[in-house]
Amino acid sequence: MKTMKWLLRREYWEHKGMLMWAPLAVGATMILFTLVMMLSGKNFEINGVSANSTTITVAADEARQIVDMAAAAYPLAAVPVYMMLGFLVFFYCLGALHDERRDRSILFWKSLPVSDSQTVLSKALIALVGVPLMIMAVGLVTSLTIVLLAGAALAVHGANLFNMLFMSPQFWLTPLRVLSLVPIYMLWALPAVGWLLLVSSWARSKTFLWAVAAPLLTGAVLMWAEKVFHLPVYSKWIWDNVIMRILVSVLPGQWIIFSDRAQEAMQHTDPQQRPLQVVAEFFNQAWMSLGSGYMWAGVVAGVAMIVAAVWIRRWSEEG
Amino acid sequence: MSALITAKNLSKRYGKKTLALDSASFEVQPGRIVGLIGPNGSGKTTTLKAILGLTQFDGDLSVLGMDPRKHRDELMKEVCFIADVAILPKWLKVKDAIDFVEGVHPRFNRARAEKYLAATKLKPETRVKAMSKGMIVQLHLALVMAIDAKLLVLDEPTLGLDILYRKQFYQNLLEDYFDENKTIIITTHQIEEVEHILTDLMFIRDGRITLAASMDEIGDRYTEVMVQPEYMTAASALSPLSQRTVFGKAVMLFDGVSRHQLERFGELRTPSVADLFVASMKGTYE
Repeated sequence: MKTMKWLLRREYWEHKGMLMWAPLAVGATMILFTLVMMLSGKNFEINGVSANSTTITVAADEARQIVDMAAAAYPLAAVPVYMMLGFLVFFYCLGALHDERRDRSILFWKSLPVSDSQTVLSKALIALVGVPLMIMAVGLVTSLTIVLLAGAALAVHGANLFNMLFMSPQFWLTPLRVLSLVPIYMLWALPAVGWLLLVSSWARSKTFLWAVAAPLLTGAVLMWAEKVFHLPVYSKWIWDNVIMRILVSVLPGQWIIFSDRAQEAMQHTDPQQRPLQVVAEFFNQAWMSLGSGYMWAGVVAGVAMIVAAVWIRRWSEEG
Repeated sequence: MSALITAKNLSKRYGKKTLALDSASFEVQPGRIVGLIGPNGSGKTTTLKAILGLTQFDGDLSVLGMDPRKHRDELMKEVCFIADVAILPKWLKVKDAIDFVEGVHPRFNRARAEKYLAATKLKPETRVKAMSKGMIVQLHLALVMAIDAKLLVLDEPTLGLDILYRKQFYQNLLEDYFDENKTIIITTHQIEEVEHILTDLMFIRDGRITLAASMDEIGDRYTEVMVQPEYMTAASALSPLSQRTVFGKAVMLFDGVSRHQLERFGELRTPSVADLFVASMKGTYE
């Protein structure tokens, strides 16, 4: 346990620029931008109500709608921060077991009584839990700040919705809902994290090419073989279930990306309260995806690839 | 006393042709400083990697009673190594390095590391990126010397360092680290600099141990003679290991010929390890 704590700290020392300062910088920039726009008196629209320099009056039912929307959907205000998650996890994993081989510092780490499985596990934990938690936290703070700023702007113009907002249980539940997505993200991202750690543990150089171009080319060759020679290689199946999973699974929200049913469910929400329903359905589908065999197959494959990466780190003989 | 390391018939093949280790067998006793000396590509590093559990191989190897292939994690609590200079990661700070090793190593003594570092220019906030090669080795040595390990393995530890750092490195090792409970194995090409600190010598050539003896035994066994011209034929008849010419005089190196017998040919002396090495590695690159 103590060793794991130090291994995680080690990762933090090495990567705090990428994993901490980069999301914070993006969040801070967004907040700053919102502030500048507000102070410069530009019109902005939040949930269909535009705040401009004249006094705004909001009808009671309209206010209800705005508050409900803001309470349930405010994390959306930080979409750029969440978008970073996929990229950070991707590049972190790709370098995780390669950088130490490139600069030969692996020989130093291996001179200490730390097992290869502990080391690889610490890196997988950073990718699967550490980075998502960091992003969720920065995203929540950013979006909350932006929504509160918007609320303040409305209040200045005579439409104070803060009371209603803070009374709304949705408002307080939303962070917990977002947090509940972390384990779901972890399970969905496992095949990609496993694949990237595997490439990182084994490729001598050009990890990006191995990680991305190799599967894409394999897929292309399979498609070609199928088209030209009519070989039954199931290229479509392999694209959807292997190649896409190991590459795209680092992005958040794969329970939507990879499920036609989930996409349909989101489209069939009540048009009357569309945005709210879509948000609710997004979380619903996330939790429902825990029952998806398709996801669990990815989990198994991901774990297997991480085990392979441990084995390769144990016996690779570079340096 | 039982051996610290026992190796029997170690073999290691890279690909189909290259035989890095060819049934190498040797023993290392505790409390010794062993120099493992060999030409490039003779299997030195492979031998060390085998001892450290960093490579697969055939044969029997016991280090501190453990098989490094199976019990590496356990073994590394008792074994330290400095693989080469400059392998600390660039982003590492001095204070982080100390914290980390203290955190993961049960036998690390923080005070010792700090005491040693206090005698250098290194500051807690210094990053490896900003250090010279010599400073990186100082940091690495500070970490290693603060670990109470039974075996220390040094693979070319002073490669690329200037003479001041090299001298200081070995001096620290001898004065502040080594004692009868510790064992050190060193490989290096700078034989002259280590020969006075070694207690034992192992020569390796083409994956085989060609010589394994204590320095005392070597002094007894090998003799160098500056042969007077009139005794050339008589001396050659005793089949010297090597012969070279210094200031117009033949210097012959004998293995296992008694000093008494050689005395009459000319002036005797104990050969340096470097001369012995050159003599016994003749024809390596041919």
